[in-house]
Amino acid sequence: MQRILEQRIWIATVAIMTFGLAALYSASYQNARVERGIFYDQLVWALVGLLVMFLLSRFDCRRLFSMAYIFYILNIILLITVLIIGRNILGAKRWIEVGSINFQPSELMKLAVVIVLARYLSQRNTFPVFSVQSFLRSLSHEFIIPLLLVVLPMLFIFKQPDLGTALLLLGVFIILIFASGVRLRFILPFLGLGLAVAPFAWHILKPYQKERLMVFLNPSADPLGAGYTIIQSKIAVGSGRLLGKGWFGGSQNQLSFLPERHTDFIFSVIGEEWGFLGAAFLIFCFFILIDSGLKIAKHSNDRFGFLMAVGIAGILALQTIINVGMVLGLFPVVGLTLPFVSYGRSSLMISAVMLGILLSLNRRRIIF
Amino acid sequence: MRLKVIRLVILYLFLFITGGLLYLQIIRGNDYFLLSLNNSIRVVPIESRRGIIFDRNGAVLADNRFSFDVAVVPQEAKDKEKLFDYLAQVLKVDKEKLLKTFKRKITASFVPVVVVEDVSREAAIILEENKFRFPGLMVRTDYRRYYPFREISAHVIGYIGKINRSEITQLKEYGYTAQSMIGRSGIERSYDRYLQGQDGGLQVEVNNRGQQVRLLGYKEPVGGQSIGLTIDSRIQQIAMDALQEKRGAVIAMDLETDEVLAMVSYPSFDPNDFVSGQSYKAAGLFHDSSAPLLNRAISGLYPPGSVFKLPIVVAALETGKITPRTSFMCQGFYSLGGRSFGCSHTHGMQDLVQAIAHSCNVYFFNAGLLLGPELISQYARQFGLGSLTGIDLPSEQKGFVPDRLLRKKIKNRQWYKGDTLNFSIGQGDTLVTPIQLLRMMAAIARNSKEVHPHILKTIGSLGVENNSVQEKLEINEKNLETLKLGLREAVQDEEGTARLLAIQGVSVLGKTGTAETSGGRAAHAWFVGFCPLAKTKIVFCVFLEHGGTSYNACAVARQILLKMQEEQIL
Repeated sequence: MQRILEQRIWIATVAIMTFGLAALYSASYQNARVERGIFYDQLVWALVGLLVMFLLSRFDCRRLFSMAYIFYILNIILLITVLIIGRNILGAKRWIEVGSINFQPSELMKLAVVIVLARYLSQRNTFPVFSVQSFLRSLSHEFIIPLLLVVLPMLFIFKQPDLGTALLLLGVFIILIFASGVRLRFILPFLGLGLAVAPFAWHILKPYQKERLMVFLNPSADPLGAGYTIIQSKIAVGSGRLLGKGWFGGSQNQLSFLPERHTDFIFSVIGEEWGFLGAAFLIFCFFILIDSGLKIAKHSNDRFGFLMAVGIAGILALQTIINVGMVLGLFPVVGLTLPFVSYGRSSLMISAVMLGILLSLNRRRIIF
Repeated sequence: MRLKVIRLVILYLFLFITGGLLYLQIIRGNDYFLLSLNNSIRVVPIESRRGIIFDRNGAVLADNRFSFDVAVVPQEAKDKEKLFDYLAQVLKVDKEKLLKTFKRKITASFVPVVVVEDVSREAAIILEENKFRFPGLMVRTDYRRYYPFREISAHVIGYIGKINRSEITQLKEYGYTAQSMIGRSGIERSYDRYLQGQDGGLQVEVNNRGQQVRLLGYKEPVGGQSIGLTIDSRIQQIAMDALQEKRGAVIAMDLETDEVLAMVSYPSFDPNDFVSGQSYKAAGLFHDSSAPLLNRAISGLYPPGSVFKLPIVVAALETGKITPRTSFMCQGFYSLGGRSFGCSHTHGMQDLVQAIAHSCNVYFFNAGLLLGPELISQYARQFGLGSLTGIDLPSEQKGFVPDRLLRKKIKNRQWYKGDTLNFSIGQGDTLVTPIQLLRMMAAIARNSKEVHPHILKTIGSLGVENNSVQEKLEINEKNLETLKLGLREAVQDEEGTARLLAIQGVSVLGKTGTAETSGGRAAHAWFVGFCPLAKTKIVFCVFLEHGGTSYNACAVARQILLKMQEEQIL
């Protein structure tokens, strides 16, 4: 079982990467705007990513347990730094420049949150509740403190502004808190409260974020601006039909109708050129990857490893679902990458690191 | 148990997105395929209208007129030869030229390329009627800026031009696009943000002949805000007429509100030339040696001549170097170290008021030497010389007030007594703009430290608040009265330099200036004055570049005042 899971992860990853590189090559095929350099860049980093995965799978990732808080605090500092000195791309401060390499600390934060929550929640035992005091104590230990651990980085990331990643952290929190066995009577009221507060959150959104939400509800409200992307993306995917238009055959892609087609919207290139069969196969590969992650969690025999595996699988699942859903016009555009497929070093490397950890958890199960 | 729930939720979500994929690609696939096939979604930008500019009486200074552009959609123009033959025939232009423009301007196969701008109405109708015979041909309607007053208010209003590459990168976030027109000078530039509207557009589905099949979306363009100016077009016209094609500038300002009523500069240009397709005309303006694009009223730098005597008077009185009763003997010249510094006449014994009225150089040589260059510079700067007035027009110049240190630094030369003499009568290195002298005169006339000449009156329907603190000058009022007496005598005295302006019914106070220039050319002529008792209290400045003696400036001023009196503005 252990070997099979490892093989599955490797095969699915390589398949997804190959798909992504092919789409990227096509997206930059005859276009001056999206440089060809992007493809080679991604190719090199994909190979580096595979290497990192391999090395990490040989490393005992349970050691992360002791580093969890330091890692988390360093990451918070990075997030603050990026707000102060970060490079401004497309109106958002998300990147830090180290030498010639741009780097997005919010991507790293995804991992840090998983590790810190896994550690915190793995050390908490649930106590029986007798009185109001004990109720409050276990409420704060089991729910409030981990919530604060997530909300702090969320605020910084939201400020960048990067709504997608901020919401992703919230999603991971819910998954982990649920998986860790926290009583539902703690979780459900907060979910209800969150839903009740959501309308008020509208006011703290940036104008462009509001615009995107409005456009999601009615894409033809702004056909030139934000709605344009969704309409063109849907046309691209839809026109792929069952078999697709073939590699380099996507007119929406090749004629530059698709904005952001090498990053957040790359799935629309795949949908157009490879059709339903190709796109569904890619989704299937992602499911295999995530399912393997959940299986590793199931077979793990320590809580830290269990929670890490669930968190990593959760992040990959949320990103895949939200990204694909947004390309298909099922969800609002929030700006999340498709792991291993979208162009972007930070995203690719973090995804690779997370899979590396997953593989390591899988390997060390018995020795532990 | 809970892991199973998580797995199930994830599985269902994956099935959900796969379902979405199935719906888009299999169920609606053919529709989307057809949409993408002809690439049949087209964005048709609808340009917004730029805000209109009015003068203080509601006369339109800058408007938008309808115009027609001929465009060709590359992907639909199957038979280009035939199409361009036809275009050349109808529009009477060279076919090769059209083809060249077309090829140069192609961006994407579905984006219409404008090949001829602003064609006549008749041509537009002919083309529109025959459009169906030539796929790809389009006649677009467009707004074009129109300036009814042409040369007269060109410098104040400015002109617009297509945005350039570096401006797009800077201004993209403010909604400017590659098609935007942007203000290039004058009000069009200072208030571009308000005048600029937001472009809208249509997203339409078209068939293979480029005809619209379905409207997918519409975004309404939002017009720019209209702007009201303090300018009075009647005075503009009067001032331009009075200049009679003499190089120079005239400014008139409301003495109570600091509203600029008129500002003209000659030689001028027709801002409509920048709008029409005839770009060679506009290009010629940049190379013209008489600098017609320069707004001489705020960007031209000239020596102030005798107008500079005003700060000298104030400085000398304030520091107690002289009293109103101090007199000096004028023999027609002043000798210093074997050099002779001339005066306009032999004035004889002159007291201060007489010296101002007669603009006696010798008196001011004496006063200047008593003061020394530091004090002169200090007072000149207090009156705002050497600093911007902050008028709401672009490219205002600061001018220059010299002093000992600056001269050492810039020219590496010592300051000699002879320099002080020149300095005292506004010659030498001192450079000012007409608006600076106007501001100085307004400060004296109103006894006010804060004078803020401005041109904006309203944006949209909102008036612009002008709540400056009226702080008095830090000058003894008695001294100021003495100075004003001199300015009155300059007009009233039989031998006053501005005698020409003694007009029935208007009381004028002011100072003339004749600033000699190097290179054997005629001197610059100045008159700066104010009418404190008129219906509209105005302060004004007439400047003639190489216009001879100040007499000529007074003659222009006289004509303006008489005409304003006639039209019952004063």
